[in-house]
Amino acid sequence: MKKLEVYDPAMCCSTGVCGPEVDPMLVTFAADLAWAAEQGVEVRRYNLGSEPQAFAANPAVIKEMEAGMDRLPIIAVDGHIVSTGVHLSRDQLAAKLGLGQPKPRITVKADGSSSCCPPKPGCC
Amino acid sequence: MDHTRTLFFTGKGGVGKTSLSCATGLALAEAGRRVLIVSTDPASNLDEVLGTELGQSPTPVAGAPGLFALNIDPEAAAHDYRERMVGPYRGILPAAAIASMEEQFSGACTVEIAAFDEFAKLLGDPAATADFDHVIFDTAPTGHTLRLLTLPSAWTDFIASATGGASCLGPLAGLETQKALYAATVAQLADPATTTVVLVARPETAALREAERTRRELAELGVGNLRLALNGVFTAGDSDDSVAKAMEWRGTEALAAMPGGLASLPRQQIAFLPRGTVGLEALRLMFGAPEETVEAVSLPVGTLPPGLAPLIDGLEAMGHGVVMTMGKGGVGKTTLAAAIAVALAARGHAVTLSTTDPAAHVVSTLEGRIAGLDVARIDPEAEVEAYRGEVLAKAGAGLDAAGHAMLEEDLRSPCTEEIAVFRAFARTVEEGRDRFVILDTAPTGHTILLLDAAEAYHREVMRTQADMPESVRQLLPRLRDPAFTRIVIVTLAEATPVHEAERLGSDLARAGIAPHAWVINQSLLASGTTHPVLARRGRYELPFIRRVADSLAPRVALVPWQAEAPVGRRGLLSLLGGG
Repeated sequence: MKKLEVYDPAMCCSTGVCGPEVDPMLVTFAADLAWAAEQGVEVRRYNLGSEPQAFAANPAVIKEMEAGMDRLPIIAVDGHIVSTGVHLSRDQLAAKLGLGQPKPRITVKADGSSSCCPPKPGCC
Repeated sequence: MDHTRTLFFTGKGGVGKTSLSCATGLALAEAGRRVLIVSTDPASNLDEVLGTELGQSPTPVAGAPGLFALNIDPEAAAHDYRERMVGPYRGILPAAAIASMEEQFSGACTVEIAAFDEFAKLLGDPAATADFDHVIFDTAPTGHTLRLLTLPSAWTDFIASATGGASCLGPLAGLETQKALYAATVAQLADPATTTVVLVARPETAALREAERTRRELAELGVGNLRLALNGVFTAGDSDDSVAKAMEWRGTEALAAMPGGLASLPRQQIAFLPRGTVGLEALRLMFGAPEETVEAVSLPVGTLPPGLAPLIDGLEAMGHGVVMTMGKGGVGKTTLAAAIAVALAARGHAVTLSTTDPAAHVVSTLEGRIAGLDVARIDPEAEVEAYRGEVLAKAGAGLDAAGHAMLEEDLRSPCTEEIAVFRAFARTVEEGRDRFVILDTAPTGHTILLLDAAEAYHREVMRTQADMPESVRQLLPRLRDPAFTRIVIVTLAEATPVHEAERLGSDLARAGIAPHAWVINQSLLASGTTHPVLARRGRYELPFIRRVADSLAPRVALVPWQAEAPVGRRGLLSLLGGG
């Protein structure tokens, strides 16, 4: 079974609804992880704010953070880091996990800001 | 009177919860028991009342063997909690990671959670208080108290139903292991053999109404062992003094109209005391015989500050903007905010009167509509509903069923209320751009938390580039702009309210906000009474009035105690005539 690990920046919650403004990308990402889990992937998601032990236990993750906090979120598949600084889309996750193409679905658009924004915690 | 091991004193701000819990604790200690008094009020004045500097662990009270007290300071508790969560990772994770963790633990949620954590530790863990025969909680003002009391069951449900990595426990995550402690806390609150909740009220309609509301809410939470303590019951005797007669009559009327549920509770009455209740001597008098007062008192004249009229003139000159009345619960913030609003509306201005006070009684204070005046209330429940709806519409539209369920789960987090209320507050302040907005803010401690939230929020807003509502982006700059926002600190001419107002002033200064004026409310000295007990109380006010007028306030107004309760347009406008 594939193992997907996500090391998130310190966030109040994984969907971002507890922050000052809801980021639809985070909501979508949380849903995409749930989808991956349904496909039989073992999904583990760690929040720096509440689960720092998972970060401390992973030297590769510490090394990335030393290079810059904008490397979060870090996504690892079977222990290998496959992406830094972005929450991957469902299609990208599927590709990294070697899963078949996901069923087409409605994409969420942020109001008037569906384009990609500068790298920062909790954004695409 | 027999006392259970745990006692809570709850009631509207300013009814004397701290005084009563201290007097009760002192009486028990002097009967040979070991007693711990705990304050969970962010604006606690337990130190002052007991005359002993307290910390976060039980401290012996000087001059009262067997009596101990401690303050749960939410700020300090939050700091400790943050350190407990972050400390072990210093030197292991990069400094930038530590800083971002700390940032996450500096919001209002963490303060609230950490304070509750301390409270649950004392209440839910028998070992924590094993050294004491009695534990007395001088609880925070009512809205806050009820949140503390309802949180255990709310969070027990919340923690139980949170599933997998989707849960929005956030800063709560560190508490998830404490389920058993919370369960014990809830069970203890509802156990009549160990716990009594004393509803404290003054013989005033608003305080009694609040006590009845609390009684009903506690009953719903399964807390049934309740008692009523009536503090400050005044009898005029055979005096002809109009103020004294009005005060006695008002008390009698309020008690006669007391809701049935309250009237049927076991009751304790404490007489009106001509001096404050600061210090052990004064506390002993609370349950003793009333003092005999024989000397005739002549009132000083000519040196008292003016009434409200000059203050209103100054506010009117702004043309528009926000006026916030701030101060400890019970000092009359609501009444003064309403009086200012009515006065400005009467002069032809468009005015919104709004409140964030969870125990809002603005509407009953106004009783009826007044031209040019809108009355609005920031209702936390309604705000949360609206915020949930907005988020679900915006972020939930494209989600599948599982994603939708996850989002809904996150929206059940206690943080959501904080955010929803905050946005409503920012929105109300924004209305001050083209009209007068008079905000009757929640009691001091809550207000400070709100402003702190504003500060943390402000930093967060500056950092992120999300599409923030303009009202939120502008909130703190607006609160700091004296041409836009004027803060009126309301106090009473007594030791504790003045000290608390001073503390509020310095908290505001830290947030970069300078008060516009102070109002000293309900002054017996300015009322002209000659009744011996009331005049003595009036004379006791003088040094406090002087202190406010001479060294604390840039502008000051003195409002006399009103023979008629200031209700409705006429009653509120009559407040302006005094001084």
